[in-house]
Amino acid sequence: MSASRPLVAIGLLGPTLDAGRDQKRWNRWRPSVGLHLQDDLVISRFEMLHQRRFDNLAEGLAADIRQVSPATRVTSRHIEFSDPWDFEEVYGALWGFAAGYPWKPDEEDYLVHITTGTHVAQICLFLLTESRHMPARLVQTQPGPRRGPGDRPDSGDGQASLAGTHAIIDLDLSKYDKLASRFAEERAAGAAVLTAGIPTRNQGFARLIARVEQVAAATRAPILLGGPTGAGKTVLARRIYELKKARNLVDGPFVELNCATVRGDAAGSALFGHRKGAFTGAVNDREGLLKRADSGVLFLDEIGELGLDEQAMLLRAVEDRVFLPLGADKPVLSDFQLIAGSNRDLRAAVHAGRFREDLLARIDLWTFTLPGLAQRREDIEPNLDYELRRFARDHGRQVTMNREARARFLAFAAAPEAVWNANFRDLGSAVTRMATLAVGGRIDEDLVREEIARLHGQWRPQADAGGDPLDGLLGAAADKLDLFDRVQLAEVVRVCRRSRTLSEAGRTLFASSRLARRTANDADRLQKYLARFDLDWERVRG
Amino acid sequence: MLTIDGSQGEGGGQILRTSLALAALTGTPVRIERIRARRPKPGLQRQHLVAVQAAARVCNGRLEGAALHSGAIEFWPQAPCAGTYAFDIGSAGSTTLVLQTVLPILLDADGPATVEIRGGTHNSMAPPVEFLQQSFLPVLHRVGVSASLALERHGFQPAGGGCIRAAIQPGQAQIPLALHERGKAIARHAEVLLANLPAHVASREALALKHALHWSHQEVDEREVDADGPGNAVIASLRHSEVTAVFTAFGELRKAAEAVAQDCARQVARHCASQAPVCEHLADQLLLPLALGAGGSFRCTALSEHARTNAAVIAAFLGEVVAFAEQDGACLVTVRGRQTG
Repeated sequence: MSASRPLVAIGLLGPTLDAGRDQKRWNRWRPSVGLHLQDDLVISRFEMLHQRRFDNLAEGLAADIRQVSPATRVTSRHIEFSDPWDFEEVYGALWGFAAGYPWKPDEEDYLVHITTGTHVAQICLFLLTESRHMPARLVQTQPGPRRGPGDRPDSGDGQASLAGTHAIIDLDLSKYDKLASRFAEERAAGAAVLTAGIPTRNQGFARLIARVEQVAAATRAPILLGGPTGAGKTVLARRIYELKKARNLVDGPFVELNCATVRGDAAGSALFGHRKGAFTGAVNDREGLLKRADSGVLFLDEIGELGLDEQAMLLRAVEDRVFLPLGADKPVLSDFQLIAGSNRDLRAAVHAGRFREDLLARIDLWTFTLPGLAQRREDIEPNLDYELRRFARDHGRQVTMNREARARFLAFAAAPEAVWNANFRDLGSAVTRMATLAVGGRIDEDLVREEIARLHGQWRPQADAGGDPLDGLLGAAADKLDLFDRVQLAEVVRVCRRSRTLSEAGRTLFASSRLARRTANDADRLQKYLARFDLDWERVRG
Repeated sequence: MLTIDGSQGEGGGQILRTSLALAALTGTPVRIERIRARRPKPGLQRQHLVAVQAAARVCNGRLEGAALHSGAIEFWPQAPCAGTYAFDIGSAGSTTLVLQTVLPILLDADGPATVEIRGGTHNSMAPPVEFLQQSFLPVLHRVGVSASLALERHGFQPAGGGCIRAAIQPGQAQIPLALHERGKAIARHAEVLLANLPAHVASREALALKHALHWSHQEVDEREVDADGPGNAVIASLRHSEVTAVFTAFGELRKAAEAVAQDCARQVARHCASQAPVCEHLADQLLLPLALGAGGSFRCTALSEHARTNAAVIAAFLGEVVAFAEQDGACLVTVRGRQTG
């Protein structure tokens, strides 16, 4: 405590505890007087908050405080509320005081006395102090125990019980580290929910999950999950819901729809519901997913696949919490949190006129792009264990991998040649296949070798089906290229795109020749090759 | 600059008060450190701060570190000033402890001074006004100090609201003290003070005291006093031709009236069992004025930790001028005064 600065106490007059007109008032502990009787506290000014109807009491109390503590200037301040147990009213009144008070935190120290007033007032004072509307420390007083014979007779008063004791609580102090660490534990637990308990070794992903945890707890605004297919958007959306549920932030259900699976009227009616006869085939009323997600979470995957009409209705539902079922003339209310998923670049879709700009602006507030498996290769091992456990849980059959098999699979999985096109979905399928085929519940090296071949086969045609990688990269110059160069360049670009760095791509492309050379400058070699086509790493990666 | 260890001996506010007075009277800047270092709440408390500031006021002294919880202060005194002083200390401390600090300083002022102090006058941890009036000041008169003390209004803890007024003529003690016998017993008297408490408290205390000491009705009075808040004290005095001894016990919340009277009676009885004229509390108070004045010697019933601490602080400023010796079951205290030459 800086003792040379004036100490200002702010407190409510306690119409019950501080009351008393006759001499008997000195017989008992009165918190506002007791605060000024503390041996180790000198209060320069006391801001006494009270209602106008307690003016007389306030005057008497001020005189008593001045008598026991002549150094204290008592200032009377009116604050009005008709019901001291009405939270809104009391908070409003105290907030008004805090907003209008000429705080000088550079010159004075402040204590907010929370012993007087109703419990509601105490809570409000705490909240206002905790939120720094009142830049103060809290002080609590209590009637002291009677002085025992063992106490030191130096305090100069033999009747400390009437002065009571006090405790100062600084909500900013680091001694609340313990509490803070409990919050941190809770948040770590939240992050564990979000990752299904799979520890991540990827720092970027860990940061992303921590942020998602924070946002999930703090907001009901829409969240947009990006990232390639199979990166875990659906799983994460469900986990966000579970986290919110565990913290009592939602009480409705989790409702999900992959927008790519419904088109036209079917999409509209699935989302918003319809009245009987709204269109051919609408033989009954249908509720719709938005209504079902009321006070819950609605996860719309592949939101970019939604038609423009549905987008407009969805926007209104997100903004105003109301929408019109097909064929209905009365709007329906539903309060849900929207989580949208998309593996497409929605900005490009807006540009192409396939996605409404205003809807994107609305759902783009919190955007999290989940990295693909290839960007989180260090997380393959924990995810492998997780998939094995999941198989055991789903099939009631424990499956293990022997050491060689495990090492071989992990070596393959971490190598650049494993492109993991469908990311965690690929990994999950691979584990499911191996586990299903495992004789005696044990995955051996042969099974792994077989699975690697299968994955390679799966990825190759998909890479080709992915179209010519040179499209859009070379433009008109493409026509001038010989087929001989085109084929070579196309494969080089493919390798570049599934590699994390230029060096990694170089190592893959020049894997054989680098063994023969003493200095390996594959990156430089690759860069020079690309430069021949007016290309560089950034452009190839797109 | 002289440095005093504030944690030595009794280790409380006494060192502070004695050091400040000696610093002012010898014109020695002083640094008092480790203030109350061995106490549960170390450093300056409110009541100490009040005494420190009062000492600085009466001699225009400069203070460093005089703040709540401070563990060290530095004090540069100047010449004590005559005049009229008023200190309002609320119930943060005892008026008599503040007077105890400023009185010796003002004896060196350039003229008469009056001091009015508002706050607590009857406080269990400080000498009550009656003790100063009946016991302490008469001894000072014998050695040539001229000061009087009036109780304007009683003030009890925690309400305070009391007032004392002291008139002080300049001049330290001129005559060496020789106080070895009590002399002839002249009178004994007790007063039960009561404020804003049921009357039976006073009558029970009076009855218990008479019973315990075998005193007569005429020797014990009950007196209702005007004060803020409740207050109760039993004050007994034994007047001899050479000296008057005063003993006090204070009423406390949840303490039986009879127990308060017993407290006081026990102190009286203990004093009567000895022949020495000076009681323990008076001994504490006499060391400083004697050392600053013409010195002298007295016999006392016992030596308190306060007295030994006072002697140590005096030694730091004036050298080893206080000597203690055992004599016939009492303690002989000899003080060499500054004015002795």
